[in-house]
Amino acid sequence: MPLADDPRRPDPDALLASAKREDRGQLRVFLGMAPGVGKTFEMLGSARRRKTEGVDVVVGVVEAHGRKETEALTEGLETLPRKPVEYRGRTLLEFDIDAALARRPALLIVDEYAHSNAPGSRHPKRWQDVEELLAAGIDVWTTLNVQHLESLVDVVWRITGVRVRETVPDQALTRADEIEMIDLTPEELRERLAAGKVYVPETARLASDRFFKAENLTALREMALRRAAQKVDDELVGHMRRHGIEGPWAAGERILVLLGGEPFGGALVRTGRRLSDLMMDAPWTVLHVERPNRPPTPAQSQYTAVALKLAEQMGGRVVTVTGDDLLQTVLEYAARNNITQIVIGRRPPSRGRPRGLRASLRRSLAHALLDHTTGAALHIVTDAAGSETHSADLLPRLPRRPNWRGYAAGLVMVFLSTLVAAGADRWMANANLAMIFLPSVLVAGGAFGFGPGLATAALSAVSYNFFFLEPRLSFRIGHFADLITFAVFFAVAITTGFLTGRVRDQARMASRRASVVASLLAASRRLSSVSSRPEAAQALAEQAAATVGGSAMVLLPEDGDLRAAAGSPSLEALGPGAMTAARWAWEKGEAAGAGTGTLPQLEWTFWPLLGLRGRAGVAGVTHSPLKTGDSGEERLLLSLFDQGAVVLERAELATATVETETLRRSDQLRAALLNSISHDLRTPLSTVLGSATTLLDYEPSLRPEVRRDLLESIREEAHRLNRYVGDLLDMTRLEGGALDPKMQWTDVRDVLGAAIQRVERRLGSRRMVRDFPPELSMINIDPGLLQQAVVNILENAIAYSPDGTDIEVAAYEDRSNVVISIEDDGKGIPTAELERVFDKFRRLQQPSDRGKGVGLGLSISKGFVEAMGGRIAAASPIHGDHGTRVLISLRKPTTRIAEAA
Amino acid sequence: MSASHPRVLVVDDEPQIHRFLAPALEAAGYVPLRADTGEAGLAALATRPPDVLVLDLGLPDLDGKVVLERARRFFDGPIIILSARDEEIEKIDALDQGADDYVQKPFGVGELLARIRVSLRNKAARGAGSPVVHAGEVEIDFVRRLVTRGGEAVRLTPREYDVLVSLAEAGGRVVTHGQLLAAVWGRSHVEDVQYLRIIVQRLRQKLEVDPAQPRIIVTEARVGYRFVAS
Repeated sequence: MPLADDPRRPDPDALLASAKREDRGQLRVFLGMAPGVGKTFEMLGSARRRKTEGVDVVVGVVEAHGRKETEALTEGLETLPRKPVEYRGRTLLEFDIDAALARRPALLIVDEYAHSNAPGSRHPKRWQDVEELLAAGIDVWTTLNVQHLESLVDVVWRITGVRVRETVPDQALTRADEIEMIDLTPEELRERLAAGKVYVPETARLASDRFFKAENLTALREMALRRAAQKVDDELVGHMRRHGIEGPWAAGERILVLLGGEPFGGALVRTGRRLSDLMMDAPWTVLHVERPNRPPTPAQSQYTAVALKLAEQMGGRVVTVTGDDLLQTVLEYAARNNITQIVIGRRPPSRGRPRGLRASLRRSLAHALLDHTTGAALHIVTDAAGSETHSADLLPRLPRRPNWRGYAAGLVMVFLSTLVAAGADRWMANANLAMIFLPSVLVAGGAFGFGPGLATAALSAVSYNFFFLEPRLSFRIGHFADLITFAVFFAVAITTGFLTGRVRDQARMASRRASVVASLLAASRRLSSVSSRPEAAQALAEQAAATVGGSAMVLLPEDGDLRAAAGSPSLEALGPGAMTAARWAWEKGEAAGAGTGTLPQLEWTFWPLLGLRGRAGVAGVTHSPLKTGDSGEERLLLSLFDQGAVVLERAELATATVETETLRRSDQLRAALLNSISHDLRTPLSTVLGSATTLLDYEPSLRPEVRRDLLESIREEAHRLNRYVGDLLDMTRLEGGALDPKMQWTDVRDVLGAAIQRVERRLGSRRMVRDFPPELSMINIDPGLLQQAVVNILENAIAYSPDGTDIEVAAYEDRSNVVISIEDDGKGIPTAELERVFDKFRRLQQPSDRGKGVGLGLSISKGFVEAMGGRIAAASPIHGDHGTRVLISLRKPTTRIAEAA
Repeated sequence: MSASHPRVLVVDDEPQIHRFLAPALEAAGYVPLRADTGEAGLAALATRPPDVLVLDLGLPDLDGKVVLERARRFFDGPIIILSARDEEIEKIDALDQGADDYVQKPFGVGELLARIRVSLRNKAARGAGSPVVHAGEVEIDFVRRLVTRGGEAVRLTPREYDVLVSLAEAGGRVVTHGQLLAAVWGRSHVEDVQYLRIIVQRLRQKLEVDPAQPRIIVTEARVGYRFVAS
């Protein structure tokens, strides 16, 4: 059929259209300075115009807030129904992303970019919904007020005093293809507000009065205009760069943000981002220096983890380096990467908390950088008030377990010291008695740390003062020198406590590192020992479960979907939500579930397993480190997954190799079969055809005995052909599973007799020796199959034994079997070949009577005997260095045994 | 070496083949000689050269092609190959290496004896240079470079004439594609079988009574062509 006439052939225009659909959708953001400027109104107006132009416009969600003009605009536009979501007894009507994806309009209207979805939705934020829609190739229009931009949160808070909770990462705006600025003068907006044209929820009325002050609006307007201008600027710069036009951009600006576990790390990151925006999208890196000699507190680790995550979201590059000397490490990094701008945080001294030492160290880092930095501008960000509370929301303080044992021990030691001092009081100078208390302080501080040390010091001071210093049995301090003694107590307690704390921290860090190394080592050992994908998946699940101390699952792709392949502690069925997250991780190549931006309400978190050749599968864990914020554990888990992915790939390759090898072997076998069959069938055919044509052409001139010999030859070869064809048929039946043994009660001796008769003519000068017992149990078998099995063995015996030798056929029985034994006196079978003698197409080299079989005989015998529930085996040599014996053993009926039982 | 009773050496490892070939050859007036292995065949060929060698390619001790190659060093009589259908490449290799013809197993004795006859006639004709060849109503006059059909001259292009002559000169033996291409187009064109197909098709249009059922230029599938003289 000519191609052009094929009705299935797609229309080129349709093809083009569908190819375009597969591209990413376009995003247009209607940006405003504040609520009420008319973003939604403007967006809907434009959408209606598009609709009249024939574009497939659908309203995904619009918050009209009861404004008549806005509602009127949605009329005539197709609107997706909202999805009811139950939350704390209330029903929230949320945007239905699945309906939108199913509907696939050309253009979708999704109001309020910064909206937070109800808990339990697929994504916590609406901008993430939009991201998915764009990825699906749907164009999206949305609205945004400038104060919702993540990088402006601090600034907006400073200007308006309102801390915005619903934020959109800056990238979500910079990724927009178009930004339409909806502008209004602050006066106009205030007029509209006064006229009640701006929707403000009752609860926010008070705050809004503060918010809508003219100076606030002016500042916000400036920010919005700058953002819009910046977008235009970016486009211009992009255009100039693409066309090689020299531009005014500040080339080579590189920004470095230093994170040191500050609670206001987020502000540092946002500052970095803003700097980057101001510098034409200069690359910005967030650097975290890990200092093995100075491990962070759990709170600091968490602050850092949160800030790093924020940096990633905002498009910054995140780098963690290790170095003991903070200043040196930072300077080296800055020099190597041509850093021109450094952002560093500094906590105001007044807020210095108990860790004053560390705070002062950070101060000195800022100062040291001031002294040592060359060629880079330094931006020092101080803790903005309020960020502390903000961060506190994120990070509940870890409860500290009081060291009761340490305090108790301190108390006991002070008591004992007092007793000893009382005993020594008579013959010892008063001042020296203090020495007796000192060991207690030393021990308490050294063994139990800061708190118990201080408590012991205090108690010692009190006890010493009360019992031994004049005036005795009074808390009054007589001499100034005594104060010095107390000071020594406290100094000892503080020093030893501090030192012990550090040593203990280091020990904990060291043991943690050791356990990380150990578990990585164990994992790699465990993983490297597996050979198949299921094994690899199981090993990976076990290691992951052990790492997080929860459950773990590994899912592997199968037939275009994911299937749970292994789990630890057990393989369990994942709920539909978890499966959705797993598929998300698989399809998008990013983490999903608990602690991520996708389906965070789940218990599970899933990661794609990314190997060298792409995605190898998905792994999920409960108690995800993303949720607990344990970055060390997260790193461990991720490196485990990396390793697992590679191992899975390797296992897959190994499987593929084995499959290829099997296929190759079976191809070889088939080729051997064809070769064998064509050769073995053709030789008898040649003889038959040649002899027959000789007779036809030259009969009159042939001597009678020659004529007879030719006829004989034709008959023999025809028989041979028949046997080959029979063999092939038998084999086909065996292979195809079409063998249907017809069992009947049989005397094996009859079967053997018939088999011998069938091969007698081919015996030549070989002798057939029978050794049958006078009595033999009847057995329930298929006599036809057994006869063919025996004939094949006999033919083999004839083919491989020289003329004049004996072939012995015997039958006997033991308690449970009837056994047939067939022995020849041929060359025997090499031991190495014995096992394979029943394989298909296995023919020993150079049988004495060449070309007598296709090499199927013994394998057919085996197949038949086994089909009847019997066994077959060969032994060789049996007579010195030659001879072969084949034994067929068939089970006797078990009725008698059953009766006995 | 008697002209009336040419000696035919059959080299084959299958005893059944000798069992019918010997009486058949004898009955057709040849002296059959038997060898069961390649070595034995070469020895017999060297000690008392026969008039024709019939050689099976599938021998247990030596590759048939090796036997052929060694035989051609000292034996210039006709060699006829016995081969199986699935051994096309070996067959063509053998023909290109100097075998005169082949018979495909299984075969009727008539077929083999006809090949033996043709090869012996060619051997006799070699050097004699018969100037005219007849095939049906077609006559080829090598001297006058003239081809007639039923007395009327047939116009042939030089290529067509060259192919026809190459085939006719073989005197009923098969000529492989490679041999024809090398002879007419040159060594560098031995792969271009489609040239040959077109020329042969045109020749058949001009010479055959029924070009769809050729009787003069016969196709030997996947091997070459054979010119059948009458």
